[in-house]
Amino acid sequence: MKALDPLFKPRSIILVGASHTGIKLGGVVLKNLLKLRPGGVRVFPVNPKFRRLMGVRSYGTVGEIEDKADLAIIIRPAPEVPGILEQLKGRAGCAIVVSAGFAEAGRMDLQKTVQKTAREGGIRLVGPNCMGVHNNANGLDTFILPAGRLKRPRPGGVAVVTQSGAVLSLIFEAFSRPQSTVGSSITAHYGNAADIDESDIFEYLEDDGKTKAVICYIESVRDGRRFIKRARALARRKPLLILKAGKGAAGQAAAFSHTGRLAGSYEVFRAVLSQFGLLEAADFEDLADGAKALSLQKPVKGNRVFILTNGGGAGVLASDECAGQGFHEAKIPQQKIARFKRIFPPFYGPSNPFDLTAQVRDEDYLTVLEELKGDYDGFVIIALSAVRGITEALGGMLADFKKRTGKPMVFHTGRDAVGQRLSQTMEAAGVPAFDSPERAVRALRKLLIK
Amino acid sequence: MNDIKERLKELLEETGGRPMEHEIKGMLKDLGLQVPKGVFIPAGKRISRPRGLRFPLAVKAASPDIRSKSEARALRLGIRTEREFLHAAGELLKNVKGARGLLVEEMHEGGIEAIAGGFSDAQFGPVTMFGLGGFFVEVFRDVSFALAPTSRAEALKLASRIKGFNVLKGVRGRPAVDFDAMSRAIETVSRLIATGLIKEIDLNPVSLSPEGAVVLDAKIFV
Repeated sequence: MKALDPLFKPRSIILVGASHTGIKLGGVVLKNLLKLRPGGVRVFPVNPKFRRLMGVRSYGTVGEIEDKADLAIIIRPAPEVPGILEQLKGRAGCAIVVSAGFAEAGRMDLQKTVQKTAREGGIRLVGPNCMGVHNNANGLDTFILPAGRLKRPRPGGVAVVTQSGAVLSLIFEAFSRPQSTVGSSITAHYGNAADIDESDIFEYLEDDGKTKAVICYIESVRDGRRFIKRARALARRKPLLILKAGKGAAGQAAAFSHTGRLAGSYEVFRAVLSQFGLLEAADFEDLADGAKALSLQKPVKGNRVFILTNGGGAGVLASDECAGQGFHEAKIPQQKIARFKRIFPPFYGPSNPFDLTAQVRDEDYLTVLEELKGDYDGFVIIALSAVRGITEALGGMLADFKKRTGKPMVFHTGRDAVGQRLSQTMEAAGVPAFDSPERAVRALRKLLIK
Repeated sequence: MNDIKERLKELLEETGGRPMEHEIKGMLKDLGLQVPKGVFIPAGKRISRPRGLRFPLAVKAASPDIRSKSEARALRLGIRTEREFLHAAGELLKNVKGARGLLVEEMHEGGIEAIAGGFSDAQFGPVTMFGLGGFFVEVFRDVSFALAPTSRAEALKLASRIKGFNVLKGVRGRPAVDFDAMSRAIETVSRLIATGLIKEIDLNPVSLSPEGAVVLDAKIFV
C-alpha cells in the first residue's frame, strides 16, 4: 500500500456537499462515485437536508458516519472547509478540497487554516480550488464537470498532472477528439497545492503500472529542489514532459547585481530542466503532440534524423525544424546515393531530405527506408496525399516497417480522405501523425534522447 | 566546501557584511582564482604610484556603497603614465562620495569578458549563472543557469549551453580560452552562493584567455 493509494484507489469515500441532482456540482460527483459501488467501494454522501440521495443513505453531518474512509471530497463554501476538516479528523486519510476562495482569491489566511487543520488531523490534502482525481484504471472520477461539458478520455497510458483546471480541460478535449489515439491513466488537478503537489504525484506515478508516460502543466513550484529530485526519479522510470507557464516573468525581485537582474524565474526553470535532461514542451500544442508521441512510442537514445518526403517544401520545413530542435540531419552514405541513382528516376532527389516528388509510388518509401534503416535513429515520413501515387496501401507498408525495425517514426500527411485513413493506420501501428511537418519533427524530439 | 564557507564567513565578519572589491578579491585569490596584481591605498594616505605594478593600470574608487563603478564614474582604465595616475587618483577621491580608498591594478586586456555569478532563486535556491560579459549580456541575455553547487564538469556544460560558446572555443584563428580555469571560477562562485551566507555574488567581468580566467571585478551582497 502506497501513501497516496487512498487518493487514487480509495475503497471508501465521504462526499461533503453531495446533492440529489446532476445539475449541481455535488450531484455530478455523487453520480460518478456511485458507479464505483458495484466494485465494492463504499460511498458516504453528506447533506443535512436529505436522508437518501440518488438511492443511497445520506448523512446529515460527517459526525454521523460510523466508519473511516480513505478519501473525503469537500464541495462546500470556503469558510466552512476548516470546520469540515476538523470533523474529518480520524475519519479520512485524504481530502480533496474542490472549493475555491482561498489563496487564489487573496484568502491566504483561510488556506493556511485549512492547511494547518489538515496537517494536525493527519489528513493529506489535495487543493483547494481543484477538481481532484480521474483514474481510468478503477473509474474514480471526482471532477465537478459533467461528461457532457468535459469529455473524459478513454483508458490509456498517459498520466496528466496539472496545476490548472483550464489546461486540464484543454488536454481532455484534445485526447477525446474523434481521431485521437491517446488515452489517459491517472489525471490529477491539484490547484493551490496547499499540501499535495506535483512532486507527491510524480512519486506515486513512478510505480503506477498503467502509466507509460506523464505530462505535466506547471505554473510554479514551491520547492524547486524537491521538484527536480522527484521529476528525475520519475523520468528514470518513464518519459515525463513538462509545460511551464509564466515565461515572461522579469528578473528576480531582490536583484542587487547584474546576475540577479538577468535571472528571470522562467529562464532558471528552463535551464534547470535542461541541466538534468528533463523534457520540456514549448507550448500547449507541443505538450499534446508530445503526449501522443510518447503514448505510442518509447524514447530511445539517438540524434540522427532522416526526412523522407514527396513534397520539396514540406521537406524543407521539416529540415528547418530539425535544425531548430538540434537534430543531426546526417547525409546519406555515398555508396547508397549511387544505388538510389541507379534504381530511381533521375528527378528524384536522393539526399536528406529525400524528395520522392509527385511522381512517387508507395513502394518507393519502403525501398528508401529499407536501405537506410541502419543509418539513422529516427525518421520523419511525409506523404502528401494529394498526389496519385500515394494510396492507402502505403499505410500498411510503413506500419510493417515500423513493426519490424521499431525505429522512432513520425508521420505527416494531408487531411483528405486518403490522408485521414493513412493517419489512422499509422497511429494504430504506433506512429503518431501530425497536420504539419514541423509538429511532426517536434514530436520526434520527444522520442529521441540526445 | 568547508574551507570555502569558513573563508567567506571570515570575510563577512571582518567587513561587517559589506566587503569591498579588494577584500573579495583577496578571498578569491586564497580560494585559488586569478585576480589582477594590485594594491589598495586607503583614503587619507599619501598617494604615490604603487611600486611593483606595471602600466597600463586601472584605478578604482573603493566603497561598499557603489553598485556599478561605471555608473558611479568610479574607475579609470588604461592609465599609462605616473602623471595620468596621480591625476586620476586625485579626481576619483574628490568626486566619488564616501570613497574609502583606491584599488590600483594592472590591466588585463585582450581577453574575452565573461560573467560568472550566483544568486538565490525563489523556487530553486542557490543558482549559478554564466554568460558572456560586456553589453552582449545586456542586449542578448545570452546566459545559462545551473543549480549550485555546480561541479567543475557541470560548470563546463553550463558554459557550453550559451549561444556564444563558440567564441570561447576560438573563432577567426583565436585560440580557445583556458576552460579549466574558467570552470574553476564558475565552480568557486557556485560553492560560495551554495553556502547560503550571501544573496548574490557577481564576478563581472572575468577576463578569459588561453592564459587563464582573471576576475577583474567582484561584488557580494549579503
